[in-house]
Parts: sequence; C-alpha cells; structure tokens
Amino acid sequence: MIPAPVSMDSVVIGKSARMRAVFEFLRVIANSDSTVLITGESGTGKEVTATLIHQQSRRKHRPFVAVSCALFSETLIESELFGHERGAFTGAIKDRPGRFELADGGTIFLDDIDDVPIGMQVKLLRVLQNRTIERLGGTRTVPVNVRVLAGSKKDLKQMVADGKFREDLYYRLNVLPLTLPPLRERREDIPLLMDHFLERYFRKTGEDVPQTSDVVKQAFMRYDWPGNVRELENACERIAQTCTCGTVRIGCMSPHILFRASTRSADPAIVETAAPSEAAPIALDDRLRALESNLIAWALKVSHGNKSRAAELLQIKRSTLGDRIARCGLARAHTSEEREPELATES
Amino acid sequence: MVTRERVEGVLNRIRPFMQADGGDIELLDVKGNSADVKLTGMCAGCPSAHMTLYLGVETALREEIPEFENLCLL
Repeated sequence: MIPAPVSMDSVVIGKSARMRAVFEFLRVIANSDSTVLITGESGTGKEVTATLIHQQSRRKHRPFVAVSCALFSETLIESELFGHERGAFTGAIKDRPGRFELADGGTIFLDDIDDVPIGMQVKLLRVLQNRTIERLGGTRTVPVNVRVLAGSKKDLKQMVADGKFREDLYYRLNVLPLTLPPLRERREDIPLLMDHFLERYFRKTGEDVPQTSDVVKQAFMRYDWPGNVRELENACERIAQTCTCGTVRIGCMSPHILFRASTRSADPAIVETAAPSEAAPIALDDRLRALESNLIAWALKVSHGNKSRAAELLQIKRSTLGDRIARCGLARAHTSEEREPELATES
Repeated sequence: MVTRERVEGVLNRIRPFMQADGGDIELLDVKGNSADVKLTGMCAGCPSAHMTLYLGVETALREEIPEFENLCLL
C-alpha cells in the first residue's frame, strides 16, 4: 500500500498559472493534518495529487490507503471502510479490519466521494467527527488516527444544493479545497505532458524517443481531452506502440483525436453563429462580418497562407477572396501574429 | 445523396493535417453511398496510419453525411 517515493516534478506536471497555483497550495498544506477535498474531472490527477500530499506530509512513512467509493454497494462500502466482525453477515467468516484501520497513522484517500450513497454519508460524517470506527457487527469502538483526503468528480456544493449530498458532511470535508483544472483549461501544459509521456512510453518499449511532427503537436493542442491527462497519457502510449517510421506523424494518432481536432479548427466561427438566448438586440451585419472574418482566417491558416488554396476551401473565386480579405481587414492580422495554435509549419 | 463534392468537403477538413505531415488523401471514386480513397505520401505505407486515417476519415464522413456507408482504402 505504500507507494514508491515520488517528487512533485515526476507526478504532477504543468507550467500553467492554474497548475502553479495548485503547486503553491500543495506546498502550503504540506505539513497540515487537515482534510483535503480534491475536486476535478475524471483523469485530472486526483489520486496522483492525493499520493503527493501524503508523500509530503509527516505521515509519509505510514500507510497510504486509497479507496474508490464508487466500487461498492451501500452495505459493502461500510464493511470495506470500517471492517467487520466474524458472523456480521453471511460470508463474514473472520474478523476483517476496514480501510480506516489499515490506514491508521497514515492517510486515507476516499475517491469518488460524490458516489457515496446518502445513507452512508451520515456514518462517514460520524467517523470524521469522532475519529472512531465501529466494525460491522462489532460493539467495540476503535479510535483511528487517520488523515482524510477526499476526491470528487462533481462539485459537491452543487450536489448539496440539489439535495444529493449532506451539507454537514460537505463542510466536514471541505476544509482545504483543492480544484484540479481540466486539461482543456490549461492547454499550454499539453506539450510538456506530451513530451513527458512519450518519453516514458518509448523508453518502456526500449526505443529512443523519435521526433514528433508539428501537426501532431497541433492536433494535441486543439483536441478537447474530455478524459484529461489520463486520456493524453493513453494517447501517448498508443503512439509509442504504433509508430513504426521513426517520426511521430498523424498516422500514429488515435483516429478519434485526429477527427475531433480537425472539427475544432472552425470552432471560433461556430461559437459566433450561436443565437443569443434572450431577446437582446444583435447587430446582424457585425455578426456576419465576424463570421466571415473567422472563416477566412481559418482557410488562410490551413492553406498556409496560400490564397488560391484558401479560395478553393471556401468555394469562392480567388479574386473574391482578395476583396473579402481587404474588407475584413485581415491582410495585416494574417501576416503578423497568429491568435491560436495553427497548422502552418513555419519552423 | 452522397456526391463527390460533399465527400471532398469532409476530406478537406482532414487534408490540411495530412498535407502538413507530408501526406495526402485522394478521392478516387464515389459509388452509391460509398467512396474509394487512396493514401499518398508519408503515411501511405504505414499500417498504423492506415488504421488512423481509415477510421478517422470514415467517422468524419458518417458524421457529416448520415447516409454515407463505406470508405474503401485502396
């Protein structure tokens, strides 16, 4: 149960402002014994962060016990967490300590706390308040010295508002709140993570890490990563397994990522076309011009600034494109600074 | 109806990625609701690339053109 020693650099990666804030917070709470509530979408690194918190704490030489509360039914979870005495239920053939007892002196990480059934929440609250447990079917009250970390995919505060999570338990858990940002909100960390995981998986296959083409990097930047860092890690593992030609090209990527990344390129335009939800006035001409300008900018980007090719993409005449570029005032913008990661390979 | 133009329209979305990586995809024929394409350039000989591009392009085609049936990679 005791994980290998880890350092901050080797487990949590990121240079983005959001991740720096997370690191700072972790440093501040390193010596604390208080409960930490780690909120983040699936794959953002809740368990990795929990491990890190434990490793930095005074309890690092004591056990770290991670348990997913989503794995068990209501009765099973009680026996898992608090243990049971022989004969407590059919099949309980001997005494068994629960996870809280196993973590005594150390840290317990209750992941997927948002999946704990409401009936169980009150029992958990009692344990957190009294720091004692009673095994299922037992009468003895056992004191436990455990630091509690909890992980949640959902915003517990919202769940409280919806009546799905006990307010008292929420306040008991939310002593030191830590929110892990989804990967799409810290895209600037994607290249770093990519290098890290590609290196790891190519090393595993015993090969040198090959060059990665700019297109692959840009597709990774564009993709939305609903599965967050975990998904990116798997994408890198796939690349390490399938790349045969010595350079990581788009062919080595997952078709899904390639396809989604390609749909994202015109996204700014799609956002612009959204109708306002309220009856607020909109300037139609301005909106149309913005849309036009976005689509022309997109076409110029993907055609590497080749106007004939861009005109083909837009299915308009080359001369018309010239006029429209002038009208949208794109000529200057296009030749100078790019607004988002784009396909053209200038390097 | 699945027309050459509609298929090309979808291919054009993926094409910039392929071209920037030294490859391309060529639309050979549209037969009924299916299309034949050929990969050229860098990725043409790589089995992994075939899988990626075949599935990626077919998914894109089916999403954009609901009646689209099969993509045949020649």
